[in-house]
Amino acid sequence: MKKETKIITKNWGQIDPNEIDDSIEVGGYQALEKFIHKMTPVLALEEIKLSGLCGRGGAGFPTGMKLESVQKEKSKEKYFICNLDESEPGTYKDRSIVDNDPHMLLEGVIIESLIVGARKAFVYVNGNYQRQIEILQRAVEQAQEKRILGEKILGSRYSLEVEIFAGAGAYICGEETALINSIEGNRGEPKSRPPFPTQVGLFGKPTAVNNAETVANIPWIISNGGKKYAAIGSKKSAGTKLFIVNGSVKNPDVFEAPLGTKLSDLIEKYAGGMQKGKNFWFAQVGGSSGRLVLEKDLVRKLEYDREAKVPLGSGAILVVDKTVDIHELLLSWMSFFHRESCGKCVPCREGTFRLWEIAKRLQDGQVSERDVAAIKDILWTLSNTTFCPLGKFAATAFGDAISNFQKEIYKLSR
Amino acid sequence: MRIKINTKEYEAKDGEMILDVCRRNGIQVPTLCSIPKFHEGVCRICMVENGGRLTTSCNVKASEGMEVVTESEDVSKARRINLELLWADHAGKCSTCKKNQRCELQNLAISQKIENFHFVPRKEEMTDSENLDLLKDNRSRVVVDDGNACLTRTTELCVECRRCINVCPTKELSFNHRAGDTVVGTAYEKSLDCIFCGQCVKNCPTGAITDKNDLTKIMIDLADLKKMAIALIDPAVLESVAFEHPEIDSRGKLISALKGIGFEKVFDLGFGMELALENMTQEIKKSSKNNLLLNHCPSFNLFVKKYYPQFAKNILTVAHPDELTADFLKTEFAKKEKINSEDLVVISLSSCVAKKKEKGKNLDYVITVRELGRIIRQKNLKLKDIKESDFSSGLAVKDEKIKSITRTGGMAEMLAKKLKVKYIVADGVSQIKNILRDLEKGRVETKIIEAMVCEGGCVNGGGQARKL
Repeated sequence: MKKETKIITKNWGQIDPNEIDDSIEVGGYQALEKFIHKMTPVLALEEIKLSGLCGRGGAGFPTGMKLESVQKEKSKEKYFICNLDESEPGTYKDRSIVDNDPHMLLEGVIIESLIVGARKAFVYVNGNYQRQIEILQRAVEQAQEKRILGEKILGSRYSLEVEIFAGAGAYICGEETALINSIEGNRGEPKSRPPFPTQVGLFGKPTAVNNAETVANIPWIISNGGKKYAAIGSKKSAGTKLFIVNGSVKNPDVFEAPLGTKLSDLIEKYAGGMQKGKNFWFAQVGGSSGRLVLEKDLVRKLEYDREAKVPLGSGAILVVDKTVDIHELLLSWMSFFHRESCGKCVPCREGTFRLWEIAKRLQDGQVSERDVAAIKDILWTLSNTTFCPLGKFAATAFGDAISNFQKEIYKLSR
Repeated sequence: MRIKINTKEYEAKDGEMILDVCRRNGIQVPTLCSIPKFHEGVCRICMVENGGRLTTSCNVKASEGMEVVTESEDVSKARRINLELLWADHAGKCSTCKKNQRCELQNLAISQKIENFHFVPRKEEMTDSENLDLLKDNRSRVVVDDGNACLTRTTELCVECRRCINVCPTKELSFNHRAGDTVVGTAYEKSLDCIFCGQCVKNCPTGAITDKNDLTKIMIDLADLKKMAIALIDPAVLESVAFEHPEIDSRGKLISALKGIGFEKVFDLGFGMELALENMTQEIKKSSKNNLLLNHCPSFNLFVKKYYPQFAKNILTVAHPDELTADFLKTEFAKKEKINSEDLVVISLSSCVAKKKEKGKNLDYVITVRELGRIIRQKNLKLKDIKESDFSSGLAVKDEKIKSITRTGGMAEMLAKKLKVKYIVADGVSQIKNILRDLEKGRVETKIIEAMVCEGGCVNGGGQARKL
C-alpha cells in the first residue's frame, strides 16, 4: 500500500478528545490563528475554492461555491450550521470524527463561520449521539476558556457563539431545509426551494449548511493551501474521504482514503478482504440510499462526479455475501424508509409504506401479480415525483435489487 | 415574460406560478392540496412537465422561456399513481360520507378516470376476521374528535393536504406523528377548543372536517306534520349558495328550495339584525365605558375570552340576530298564529360555524350552506325548474341597508352614525391581535371596536360553500 495521506484522521488515537491541550499540542487551532492573523475571509474562501472541496454529506456540491454565495449576501445576520445529523444506516464517519478529534471539527466550524460572516453557528447533532453531544459541549467550553470562541476570538475583531443543538434523531433532518426547520422549532420536514438556504435560511437569514466531514477538512486546507489539497485524490474530485466498510469483510471500520480509490481496493487493501468462506455478491455504496455494485463493477473509482453511475453518497459501503437473504435486506431498507419518511408528500408517505408492506409479503412468499405491478409503479413515482430527495433514495436500492436479482426475489412467490 | 404551455405562448406575470398561468388561460390542471395563498406542493397531483422533467405546477414560479407540457404519458402516470396511493389511504366510504358529491378527492378520481386500485385500503372498516388478520399492521392511526358543538374531525377521511393547518388563524392544528402514521391533530391530541371560525371546514377537500349537527333529527322535524319548521335566511349565504347548487342563483329560488325541503315559513334575518342593532344602540348609550367590543361575531367573542380574558367585560351582551328572531317567533308570533311554541322549529341558515356554539335555547338549529346543500341532495329535491318565491309575511325588514352588517365594518358604521361616536374596525385575526395588543398597552382609546374573525366579514364566513 502507498503511504497514506491523512487529513482528517491524522490525530486519531493520539489525543484525548476531552482535552483541548492535547489537540493544541499536535497543531490544533493553528489554522485558525493563520486565518485570523494572516488572511481575510475573501482570501480564505479563495483557498477553499482552489481546493475543489465538495460536500461530503452525499450531494457533493462544491463547498467554495456555497460559502461564497452566503459570504456575498449583505444581511447583517447570518448563520453557519455544521450538519452532524448522521442517520444513514451503517454510516458513522461523523461520529468517529467527534470521538477522535472534536477540536478539528470545531476549528473548521469557527473558520467557516468567520468566512461567511456568521456570528452564531450551530452544530446539529443527531439526538441519538448522546456521548458525542457531551464531547462537543466540553470542546466548546474548553475553547471558550482559551478565548478561541466567544467575544474577540484570539484578540481579534471576530466574535462567534457556537451552539451544540441536539436533534431528535430523524433521518430527514439531515436535509438542509428540514434541519433548518428543526432548529427553528418547527416540524422536521423539507421546504421547497428556491429560495435556497444560502439566501433565506435559518430564521430567514442567509445560512451555510455543511456536513461535519466537509468542515473537518477546512483547517488542513487553510494550513496547507488549496492547491496542495487539490493535488490529492482524483482528477474529478479532490482530497480524501472517510469510507466506512461494513458487512462481510475481515476488518469493518472507517478508513481515510483519497477520492478516486477503487472499490476493490477498499475491500481488499483497507478492509482486509472478504471473511473466510464468504463469497462476494454485491456491495451497496452510500448507505441505505445507495446503489448496488456487482462484481464486474468493482474496478470503478469512487469519486464525486455528477455523471457517475454509482454516486458516492455518504461513503458507507456495505459488502454483501451470497449467504445473505435478499428479502431480509429489502425489508430492512424499507423498514427504515417507511419509518423515516416525514409524511409531507403523498408519493413518499404512501409509497414507502406500500413498499414496506410488499417487502413483508415478499419475505413470506405471498406476493401477487398485483404487487409486482405495484412495485414498478411505486418505484417510478418515488424516483420522479417526490418533494425532496428522500423519496428518490428510498427507491434506488430497492429498484437496483429488483432489476438485478429478479429471480432470487420472486423465487419464493407462488 | 413569455412562457410556452403545450406549444402555445402565454404571458406570465412576475412571481406567478405555472398553475396560475394555466388557470388564467383555461388550461385544466388537476390539484388537490393547493388553495389560493397556500401552495404546499405535497399532493403531487398537479404535476406537469417542464423542459422534459416532472415538476409540480402549484409552487413553481413561471420563468422566461419555460416550456411546459400539461398532458403527457408521464404526467398522467404520475397523477394516476399518486391519486391511487392517496385513495388507498382514504376510507372510501363515499355512500355514507357527508361530503359525497362535494368531495374534491372523489371528483379527481372521476376526472382522472381512476378505476383500478392496486393497493389494499388502509382505513376501511373491516369485519372479515381473515382480512383483519392479514392487514393487522396495515391499519392507519385514526383520530376522531367530536368533542365540540361546531365541527367533527376524523382522520379516517383525511388526505393530509394541510389546507386546515394553513388556513387556521390561531394555529390550532398541525401534523402529529410521521411517515405513514402522519395525522392532522391538535397539540397532545386534546379535543379541539378553538374559536370555531370554520375556515378549516370550508377548505377541507374531503369529509375529514365537517359541520356538526344532528341532520337526521332535522330531517325528522322537517317531515313532521305537527311541527312548523321556520327557516331564517342570513343574507350572507346568498353569496355562496350557488356553489352548492348552481340552480339556486337568487334569493327567491333559495326560498322556494327551503320550502321544497319542508320549511313552512321562511323569514329574512334582517328583522333580527335590526333588533340587534337597536339593542346595541341602547347598551352603548347606557354604558359609560370606552372601548366596547361589538359582539355580533361569535368567533371574536370566543377569541377574546380565550386569549384576552381581561377584556371579556368589554364585550356587549346583545343576543345574536338569529336568537332575537327565534325569541320573537316563539313568543309573540306563536301567540298570534295560535300555535304552541314547542311545535315551532326555528332553524337559522347561516354562514357562521361558531354560531352553533353560541346558540341559545329558542333557536333550535344553526345550519351552514354546506348542510343545506346536503339536505337538498338527501331529499333529492328537483331544482331544474325551480321558481322564485317571496319571504313569508309577518316579520318585516324596515331598511334593507341593515344587511351591510354582513361585511366587516358595517355594524360599527351604522352605530357610529346613529350615536355619533368614534370607532375602530379589525378585519381578520391578525388585525384583531394588533388591536387587542394596543388595547392592552393603553395605546387605543375609542368608543366602539368592531372585529370580524373571517376576513371580509360573514360573507366569507366559515359556513359558506366553496367553489370547487
